[in-house]
Amino acid sequence: MRLSATAVLLAAGLMLAAGCGSSSSSAGSSSPAGSPVNGGTLLAGIPSNPDHLDPGISYAVEGWEILEATDNGLLTFKKASGGAQATILPDIATAMPSVTDGGRTYTFHVRTGVRFSPPVNRAVQPSDFKYAIERLFRVGSPGVGFYTDIVGANAYAAHKAAAISGIVADDATHTITFHLVNPDGAFLDDIAIPFAFAVPVGTPAKDISTDPRWRVGTGPYMVKSYVPNQELILVRNPNFHQWTAASPNGHLNEIDIKIGITPEQAVNETIDGQLDWYFEAVPADRWTQLRAKYPNQTYLFPRNNVTYFSMNERKYPFTKLAVRQAVNYAVSRTALLKIFGGQGTASETVLPPGFGSAYQPYNLYPYDPAKARQLIRQAGAEGAKVQIWTTNADPAPQASQYLAGVLSSIGLNVTGVKVLDDGVYWDTLLAESSDPQIAFNHFDQDYPEGEDFINTLLNGQNIVKVGNNDVSNTNDPVLNQMIDQTMRMPLGAARNAMWAKIDRLFMQRDAGWVPFLHLSEPKFVSPNLHGLVFTGSYFELLPEMWLSKH
Amino acid sequence: MFQFLIRRLLGLVLVLFAISVMVFVIFNVIPGGDPALRLAGRHPTQQNIIQIRKQWGFDKPLYQQYADMMDKLFIERNLISYQNQVQVIPTIEAGIPRTLSLALGAGAIWLFFGVVIGVLSGVYQGRWLDRVLTVLALTGVSIPIFWLGAVLLYLLTFQYHSLPIFSWIPPGGYSPIGHPLAWAEHLFLPWIVLAVVSIGFYARVVRSSLLDVRSMDYVRTARAKGLSSWRVLTRHTLRTALIPVVTLFGLDLGAAIGGTVILIEPIFGLEGVGQYAQASVANLDLPPLMALTLYGAFFVVIFNALVDVAYAWLDPRTRV
Amino acid sequence: MTLEAVQAGATPTGRGGVALAWRRFRRNPTAIGSALVLLLVVLACFPGAPLWVDVACHHGPAFQNINGYVTQNGHRVPVVANDGTPIGPGWRACYLLGADANGRDLMVRLLYGGRVSLEVGFASALVCVGLGLLIGMVSGYLGGFTDSILSRLMDLIWAFPVYLLAVALATSLALGGLAIGPLRVSSTSLAIPILVIAVVYVPYVARPIRGQVISLRRMEFVEAAVAQGAGPVRVMISELTPNVASMTLVMLTLIVANNILTEAALSFLGVGVPILTPSWGNIIQQGYNLIVTAPALTIAPGIAIMLTVVSLNVLGDALRDALDPHSKVRVKV
Repeated sequence: MRLSATAVLLAAGLMLAAGCGSSSSSAGSSSPAGSPVNGGTLLAGIPSNPDHLDPGISYAVEGWEILEATDNGLLTFKKASGGAQATILPDIATAMPSVTDGGRTYTFHVRTGVRFSPPVNRAVQPSDFKYAIERLFRVGSPGVGFYTDIVGANAYAAHKAAAISGIVADDATHTITFHLVNPDGAFLDDIAIPFAFAVPVGTPAKDISTDPRWRVGTGPYMVKSYVPNQELILVRNPNFHQWTAASPNGHLNEIDIKIGITPEQAVNETIDGQLDWYFEAVPADRWTQLRAKYPNQTYLFPRNNVTYFSMNERKYPFTKLAVRQAVNYAVSRTALLKIFGGQGTASETVLPPGFGSAYQPYNLYPYDPAKARQLIRQAGAEGAKVQIWTTNADPAPQASQYLAGVLSSIGLNVTGVKVLDDGVYWDTLLAESSDPQIAFNHFDQDYPEGEDFINTLLNGQNIVKVGNNDVSNTNDPVLNQMIDQTMRMPLGAARNAMWAKIDRLFMQRDAGWVPFLHLSEPKFVSPNLHGLVFTGSYFELLPEMWLSKH
Repeated sequence: MFQFLIRRLLGLVLVLFAISVMVFVIFNVIPGGDPALRLAGRHPTQQNIIQIRKQWGFDKPLYQQYADMMDKLFIERNLISYQNQVQVIPTIEAGIPRTLSLALGAGAIWLFFGVVIGVLSGVYQGRWLDRVLTVLALTGVSIPIFWLGAVLLYLLTFQYHSLPIFSWIPPGGYSPIGHPLAWAEHLFLPWIVLAVVSIGFYARVVRSSLLDVRSMDYVRTARAKGLSSWRVLTRHTLRTALIPVVTLFGLDLGAAIGGTVILIEPIFGLEGVGQYAQASVANLDLPPLMALTLYGAFFVVIFNALVDVAYAWLDPRTRV
Repeated sequence: MTLEAVQAGATPTGRGGVALAWRRFRRNPTAIGSALVLLLVVLACFPGAPLWVDVACHHGPAFQNINGYVTQNGHRVPVVANDGTPIGPGWRACYLLGADANGRDLMVRLLYGGRVSLEVGFASALVCVGLGLLIGMVSGYLGGFTDSILSRLMDLIWAFPVYLLAVALATSLALGGLAIGPLRVSSTSLAIPILVIAVVYVPYVARPIRGQVISLRRMEFVEAAVAQGAGPVRVMISELTPNVASMTLVMLTLIVANNILTEAALSFLGVGVPILTPSWGNIIQQGYNLIVTAPALTIAPGIAIMLTVVSLNVLGDALRDALDPHSKVRVKV
């Protein structure tokens, strides 16, 4: 997924300094100062409205972070940081599903007694889950792609069927069964993300973020009020009672989120004691001092992210493998790490370190500008015109200018760096008419599994004219086949080993990207705030937080 | 006079119409500005795009889309932004008081100091004080407004953070009626910034206006009659000298409310109309931009008209 | 900031006043001072920039030195630290004012950026005043239908809030470039900010010129020329232009000042000069996020802008006093 745009002009955004890679202290720590205390109101800030509070539509980390606290699905990721977050556990389902028919059929038993928050109030039924997924197709959800491999989904999407035949929900026996067209090991992940969270039957097929009649959930918190551009208040859900260890109750009584606070303001207010926690990262220019002055209040969390430049294999000069490899040789990843304030792990891999055994680092392109120049000359690409695209969220423009300098030094002719505002960059990048030659890019996990990265971004069979996520237009039949095969494998070490192999092969055979960094997220919080558990999909988990003084 | 007003009113409507068409055209010919793609989000299929186009009316001819937008803006009043599907009009309405607080407060400051410095400059014309004040005035006008805001903000909230008066707290919607002191405290810095870059101009205008009036016959007569310099200044010259200033102030205020705030508000996070405008342009978000441009143009034209009315009333020769 | 000319009852200067004007100008110490400052700035940026590169430190404005080191007090200090903080100002030939986040020399960028800012400011002012003069003259002299159309067009641009118009135009042109018939301008060309800034301020020139021309055309010398058989073009060129010359010259100076500020503002908002080319405005824009750790990046270009614009304003002011001490031409920046 992409992070939602921090629409504030001067948001210094993602990067910032300090530390030597991701092994800095407090990576994903929880409750250092004693055991959790219940109660209190968290004073939080966010720069702009969360993208949506509708689980069927939200596709940015801010929305997901809130939905994780207010809604539940059949399954959930383990609420822990690090590699443990990849473990999938039953949530509203009573147990992990039984998988039959060669991995094509998943049968869940749905727990009874889980209720929606006011004003719906009634118990969750299997039909609510079926409704949620069907609704995705009716609201034009960005998440439909995860569920198109359910039997009958495409027919439903094309309005040729009244329902998705492949989802069988039986409220009487409290079961729900999914039939897939092809086996897909990561289907469990698809069920664990917010797109598949329970939504009451009858929820209108439009954004219900500002509609309290339908903005309900099953989680420990519920939205008490939401005034866009002003504030969002979460309070305890009176209908919640903990039904599994995997979904604990929250410690805080209330979460007050003030909308419209810039990152700089957030730092000042946290120092002044008026803010406990901020949704976004610490701005670059404050990090070093904050780290030094308030070491117990600063955290560097590893995001499951890959930051890279993508090269369009359908556009000269990046049609030539030699040129793409040359760029990889010419870029100094340590220099780029500096531009990103040292916050993250410099790397050539697609998959991030948080993916456990699927992450096997390699060094196929050690820094060698001379070799890069030679490759360019041999490929006859000297003087080729190149325009670089970038978003304006810092430090992407700096990184892109660095790239411009590198490309010029190896013999390419850089005509310019095109900077687009973050709010429009990501959509423009995916538009058919855009077609950049080389562009700044990053990708954060939707769920912690290799398929999320590799199938979405590198499978040539997924190339579409509009909304194409395979921005490099990588279409290697060998890789495509390996990806398809791996997707059908069950989750586990063997599958992870395959992802690692594909990762390396991609950079070896295709080199459609210049991956350079796996980012970390620097945060600064009040001294009273503890219980920060950071996951790649939801960032800090709100129900885990607690205040030592309130 | 009545005829004049009617003519101006008609002119206002025509200008607003023309501007709305201009904005609409500019933002519909931009490549990469396709709102359907933005609304569709990630993984959009061709199906999604078509569905959204139909739902939002992007498949209709341009003039139809324009008419729909005007309808949503003025009649139904339910215009929604493409970027985050939030209602545009309430957002603008929430932002107007903050922008007005900024513009009017700063306006009062720059008018006051502009007059004072201008009078001093004029009274001591040609002398050392005049030259110094001239350079100071022109320096103020030469500072990039956003730069001044950024540098002051840095100095006062970071370097000298301990000074109580400048400890930065967000505006937080304090209203001037309920908590006047808190309201003023939060706006103090933006006021200073906006005022500093305008004072110089007014000082110069007051100065030259004063010099002109002083050389007029009736002033000489007053002096010859033995009135003290101070008396002459306040009773005779000042009032006349200030007329062009007041009319100019009207124009500037209109322009400030209408658009200059776009540079200051984002720096201070004031969440007024200016910040909304800046974010909307950055996001190529046509609905709020349309509303904001019309709002801004409205103010500019209204204040222009008021100024012309004042001029026409004061000097019947200048009815152009 | 509004740019606005108020003019009331100005009398046209007689010919042969050039000598008189020069004498008045010469006697004004602030005028001389500002002219000198301006000269210094131009010299520093134009011949001065490559000179500095040759003499002081041999790298240009685009040279990125992120992994490099400088020697300071006998120590080797990285140009950009591991946490991304660039080195600050210091008494050394290289990086006299420090470096930016990409390891580029601020002093060198300031000088080369000055070139761009001055070029954009001056070029856009020329276009603006040229167009404004043309429109104002034609509109004021011909009157009637032509005047109506042109005046309405000017009103339209005038009413559009300046920064909104500039940003809207610049954003749309920056995305797709400009293509009118055979004329193609790439989206990363400097012509785009120049054109945008010029167009936005045309009414501020055209309106006062029109007003001046309207009062001039009733004058006797114009009637005389018409009686002698001079056509409208002839009248505009030989009779009217010299009489609006002084007003135009003053306006030109003040508009250059104004446009340099506008370029800075547009670059700061991200829609001015494209980022690979340094300009004072986009140096501020890129340095602003490091203001706490590297304030020089923001402060230095701002001071450069201030110096240049002040001297232009003082110059314009003095020119007006010298050319026509009784005129009330005010062009606000």
